[in-house]
Amino acid sequence: MEDSRIPALPRGILHFLKMNSPVHSFARLCFAVNILKPRSSLQIQKSVIFALVLREARARFGVRRMGAVWTLVEPICHLLIFSILFAIIRGRTVADVEYPVFVLVGMAPFLLYRNTALRLMDSLRENRSLFGYKQIKPLDTYVARVLVETCISATVYAILVFAFAWYGFDMSVANPLMWVATLALGLLFAFSLGMVLALITHALPSLKVVIRMAFFPLYFISGVLVPAAYLPQAMMPVLLLNPFLHIVELIRAEVLPHYTPVDGVSEGYVICITIVLLFIAMGSYRARRLHLVSTKNG
Amino acid sequence: MFELRNVTKSYLTPKGRRYVFRNLSLSIPPGKNIGLIGRNGAGKSTLMRLLGGADIPDSGSVATDRSISWPVGLTGGFQGSMTGRENIKFVCRVYGAMGDDMRDKIRYVQEFAEIGDWIDEPIKTYSSGMRSRVAFGLSMAFDFDYYLIDEVMSVGDAQFKRKCADVFQEKLQQSKVVLVTHNMNEVKKICDIVLLVRNGEIQVYEDVAEGIKAYNA
Repeated sequence: MEDSRIPALPRGILHFLKMNSPVHSFARLCFAVNILKPRSSLQIQKSVIFALVLREARARFGVRRMGAVWTLVEPICHLLIFSILFAIIRGRTVADVEYPVFVLVGMAPFLLYRNTALRLMDSLRENRSLFGYKQIKPLDTYVARVLVETCISATVYAILVFAFAWYGFDMSVANPLMWVATLALGLLFAFSLGMVLALITHALPSLKVVIRMAFFPLYFISGVLVPAAYLPQAMMPVLLLNPFLHIVELIRAEVLPHYTPVDGVSEGYVICITIVLLFIAMGSYRARRLHLVSTKNG
Repeated sequence: MFELRNVTKSYLTPKGRRYVFRNLSLSIPPGKNIGLIGRNGAGKSTLMRLLGGADIPDSGSVATDRSISWPVGLTGGFQGSMTGRENIKFVCRVYGAMGDDMRDKIRYVQEFAEIGDWIDEPIKTYSSGMRSRVAFGLSMAFDFDYYLIDEVMSVGDAQFKRKCADVFQEKLQQSKVVLVTHNMNEVKKICDIVLLVRNGEIQVYEDVAEGIKAYNA
């Protein structure tokens, strides 16, 4: 019955670890015993996320030499074209700042949040083959995606800020600490939203198209290109249900010293929505985690 | 040892749910090399993934007290645009082999798979033979109680097969293997117990020759 080879292992503890029960983390731990030195769950998760981040970045940058450059140039062009185009059309300042600055400040984080949510939605399908390695869990792939997306976005933003400042715009941030906190809150919101969408589309894959289409008008109803005050006032109570509108307005208010967000914008609303979404995301992830790694579904 | 209790596994297809196994219970005694045989699409690979914990049953449980490798299949988790070296590093990181350990593993895989400087080319430029040599070598670079091998050995040329057999001889002193294959000579040579997967049922044959006879029948 007993294989004589592993007398050193604590038989009592190792006896009958159910692989598909909540003791999974321990199963992973003892799994590592034979290979190298044992690692704690946290260490395993850290090294998995590190490996995934490198892999994800490699996949994004592609194999070609200019891959990394293109990954950065594409959003830079997007932001530049929109901000300069609208500056030419409207040709004036908003809240005492140049129009390109105004657009950049709101649009860069908005694009990050939108991309984060949409990329998390596709994460499961694109990383399916990795779940054969038992240490890798869907949550790790989500976290790695957000990290890579944020790094790319931050680099793009930094390049544009330097370029604008060099051109002569005033790029200073009025309340840097609150700005960073609001950005982080927005990212957490996007992460929770992306996770909920990923879980929904795992159960109902056909919804992906609908969700993608729903993200398109968000551009306009979130006040990315114009101050939210320019949006139709009659619609305001409905528009204010959209957390992206709150986040974009709040971020602008932290950066631009004389910008007043539209009435009804509140941090509290975003925090509440984020907490509720995060709770739903984590809860349903917990309930569905075993199905998520299962092949051929979704 | 493995113990399956009331395992049901199905896949959702566009035409509805297809059951691979229903209420399957069996136990596999420890210390045996396990051969999974059966027709194409019978559920061998699914069963292997269930045994390895890479996939989970809809209901029921799979229990084991041994460390089990990832399923070593033909395509196995490689990112096509990453080079062979980067893919090997990825698995090393996941399994916590850093620094010198990682360098050793890379050298081992490079030598075992005989890919030379191809190791720095993207995996998608590899031939299927090279890819499966890397996949097989990579799993051999780590120590497990059970290796899950899914038809990887059947694609190589004669020389590589001989090499696989040699490494296996050495590995099998300490480890066991769960082998999915259509090659009955391999089963005869390596396996001590045969699981014949047919129509969602599994017959366990402690006598390998008898299992092969049932498969051919």
